[in-house]
Amino acid sequence: MTLSRRRFLQMTGSGVMAGALGWPALSMAQNGQGTPFAMQASWVNDAEFSGYFVAQRNGYYADEGLALDYRPGGPDVIPEGALLSNRAAVALTTVESTLKAVTQQGAPLVIIGTQYQKSPVGIVSLASNPIEKPEDLAGKVLAVPPVNRLAVEAMLAANGMSTDDVRIVPYAYDPTPLLKGEIDASLDFVTNVPYTIQLHGEEAVSFLLYDHGFPVFNDTLVVTRQTLESRRADLLAWLRASRRGWEENFQDPTRYPPLFADSFFAGNGRAIDNEIFFNQAQQPLIESPNGIFSMADTDIARCVEALGRIGIEASAEHFDTSLLAELEA
Amino acid sequence: MAELAGQAQDARKPETRRRPKARYAMPLKIALGWLALLALWEIAGRQQWVAGGALPSPSGILGQLIVDWHDYPEHIRATVRTSLIGFLLGNLVAVLVGFLMASWRPAGRLLSGVNVTLFAMPPIALTPILVIAFDGDAPRIALAALSTYYPTMVATVLGLTRVDARLLDLVRLYGGGRWATLRWIRLRHALPTLLAGLRVAAPNAVLGSLLAEFGSGAGAGLGHYLIGSLGRGDPARLWGIGLVATAISAGFYLSILLLARGWVGRQAPAQESLGGSSSGSMSRAGRLLCLAISVTLPVLLWWAAVWGLERVGVSPFVLRSPPELVVELFSTMRPESLTRIVGGALAQTVPWCLAGMLVGLAFALLLAIVGTLSPVLGRVLMPLSLLTQSMPLVALTPLIVLIFGRDGATILAITISVTFFPAYVTLAQGMALVPAATRDCVRVLGGSRWREIRLVSLPWSLPYLCAAARLVAPRAFLGVMIAEWLATGTGVGNLLNVARGSLDYGLVWAVVVAAVLVSVLLYLAVTLIEHWVLKRYAMASAS
Repeated sequence: MTLSRRRFLQMTGSGVMAGALGWPALSMAQNGQGTPFAMQASWVNDAEFSGYFVAQRNGYYADEGLALDYRPGGPDVIPEGALLSNRAAVALTTVESTLKAVTQQGAPLVIIGTQYQKSPVGIVSLASNPIEKPEDLAGKVLAVPPVNRLAVEAMLAANGMSTDDVRIVPYAYDPTPLLKGEIDASLDFVTNVPYTIQLHGEEAVSFLLYDHGFPVFNDTLVVTRQTLESRRADLLAWLRASRRGWEENFQDPTRYPPLFADSFFAGNGRAIDNEIFFNQAQQPLIESPNGIFSMADTDIARCVEALGRIGIEASAEHFDTSLLAELEA
Repeated sequence: MAELAGQAQDARKPETRRRPKARYAMPLKIALGWLALLALWEIAGRQQWVAGGALPSPSGILGQLIVDWHDYPEHIRATVRTSLIGFLLGNLVAVLVGFLMASWRPAGRLLSGVNVTLFAMPPIALTPILVIAFDGDAPRIALAALSTYYPTMVATVLGLTRVDARLLDLVRLYGGGRWATLRWIRLRHALPTLLAGLRVAAPNAVLGSLLAEFGSGAGAGLGHYLIGSLGRGDPARLWGIGLVATAISAGFYLSILLLARGWVGRQAPAQESLGGSSSGSMSRAGRLLCLAISVTLPVLLWWAAVWGLERVGVSPFVLRSPPELVVELFSTMRPESLTRIVGGALAQTVPWCLAGMLVGLAFALLLAIVGTLSPVLGRVLMPLSLLTQSMPLVALTPLIVLIFGRDGATILAITISVTFFPAYVTLAQGMALVPAATRDCVRVLGGSRWREIRLVSLPWSLPYLCAAARLVAPRAFLGVMIAEWLATGTGVGNLLNVARGSLDYGLVWAVVVAAVLVSVLLYLAVTLIEHWVLKRYAMASAS
């Protein structure tokens, strides 16, 4: 790589500024006109976030007067951290970690909607060594990302089992140990990893924790109490544009992933076919008769009850459906 | 580290000169050894001998690399950019601090607490704090800079202070003052040593940047690419990314080597030790005061950093100043007290850490003995050893758990891989510096090579073994943490991950501070043992 002196100074200069000051504004790519609005995703760019990519590509945020700063997540990124550090206005989070922080540490956060009506988190195994229900886990080795450990404990408890019945080991999102039989099952998005398993010539078997004692939302839309008060109009605009993006995406879930190959999905290390598989698989988990993002009172109650079983004393107060109601109106 | 191995090899040169034919035989044997190793790897990969095929063959890795190549340039650019910026910043600070320490002796004592902390702290413990505190590229740059600091700082001090006193006298004799000695002697003398330090620091910067990329969520960078690729269950891709990262490290290393060759020629850097030179000149009270300040300084820096971050808008919810953390540690508001949780995890981790230290040292010693008995074999194994140092362990986890399972064996295996290399380089250096006359003494009396090692090389290398143990101590803790995080799900490594996931920032800070503290204590304990051993055998400390 040859560097001209000027280019070199540009690179180092901007990096040093953003680095030394930790100054939020400098690192934000603000494209287009409109009110700056930052959202923090929960993972690296993949089909899980298709709706927001569609909305960006088709200019829905711009239509609503927002200049969206989309921030991808990653294993070390705690989306709530971006809210609490004032780096994002809205974040996609795991509901149990958000409400644990709210109830046990007083984090000033509130849930304003949910991307997944049913959390796609499930237990995935191979058809050659199938684990089709919680009871099948007895005596087996299950790989779980530390973040999801609570959810597994809840599922086991709801089925009269405990962590003594299963050997739980860390999971680092690499299915190789599962494919090689080193572990019997792993906890992952059932919308995603079965594709890879098929690609390796195996058949995948899976069940959702949602259907076995842990009926919770996932990728909940979370804001700080302060943002909810001070940026209501912007939040409404963001919700409207994002919902439009998801609706457009699900018109034909095979249509958009290939269009993002050189933009949102460029260099994410994954195959486009994998994204199409993901996008199709997640449609029934996201869509709702009450509209995308909606949170029915009965579903909130079930979510609260499930969280109560793992010691998170959440209540309906931690969910604010007023923005969604306004969206309908 | 590796340039020390270079010196170790140079030290053997007179021997080869004695037997001219061996000059060509040696490189030939090494090349053949590499080829044999590569062929063995290729066959093992193709035949799926290792871990049911989780070890890909070199040709498979290369093939995948070619298929994926269009993805790479952007990631390589991002990783090179952040590690380069971090490298420059870290070195700038390191050289300034080095100057300060060399020109004002008490500075060394006052900063020793900060220096030991920066040397000993496990980088994976620091990442979550950096990701919370900084935004965008900043965590990567910060970790690259922090990883760069220590070797450069040491090299600067070493280069500026270890000067031939006769040369200084000469300048003074001609009426030169402090400035003149600095200009004509110290700076010139410091340059080769500084460049040797930079060479060690350069790969550190790449690794630091990579490690922080795993988490920071930035769109480009090899660490990011690795995380995205994990879900494919494709070891060839992961190895390809690891090899490209290794190549970047090697590129950094070689550019500085070439720069050094062009600038200062082949002049050997100073090799003498850093420690223990300034004692005696200070009163007891002065020394105690220095000690107190040096212990307090890291805590004050932490406090200042938290204060500064709150000023630029980072939420106090995620930050903990030292007094806040102390209050939280002993707070009874939590269902289970922090001291208890962290203490329980440490009780799991520390015994493994001690075991890992011993096993890592033993492995390094074995390798050094093999290298002495058979220099060819030693050099054939060198690239393999280097590879284990720059391959991101997360890419190797499936392979490791498939071979070693998820219990003690994996902890020890990962800890050996994290610890042995610097220890090996130090020991090899020690063994290579054995005076030929002493060795010949055994040989003349009919002693075997093994006897020579037992009676001469091993006792001679005792100071180097101590120095190696000092290098290994904090790394062993890091190794056990990595194994717990990736494979076993126990101890401090797992706790850090769980705390992060459940947004328990009080716990995150408690674990980070505990990890740094334990690493520093391990380091200090080994230093004390070293003092005692060397005093007993009337030897001087190495490095």
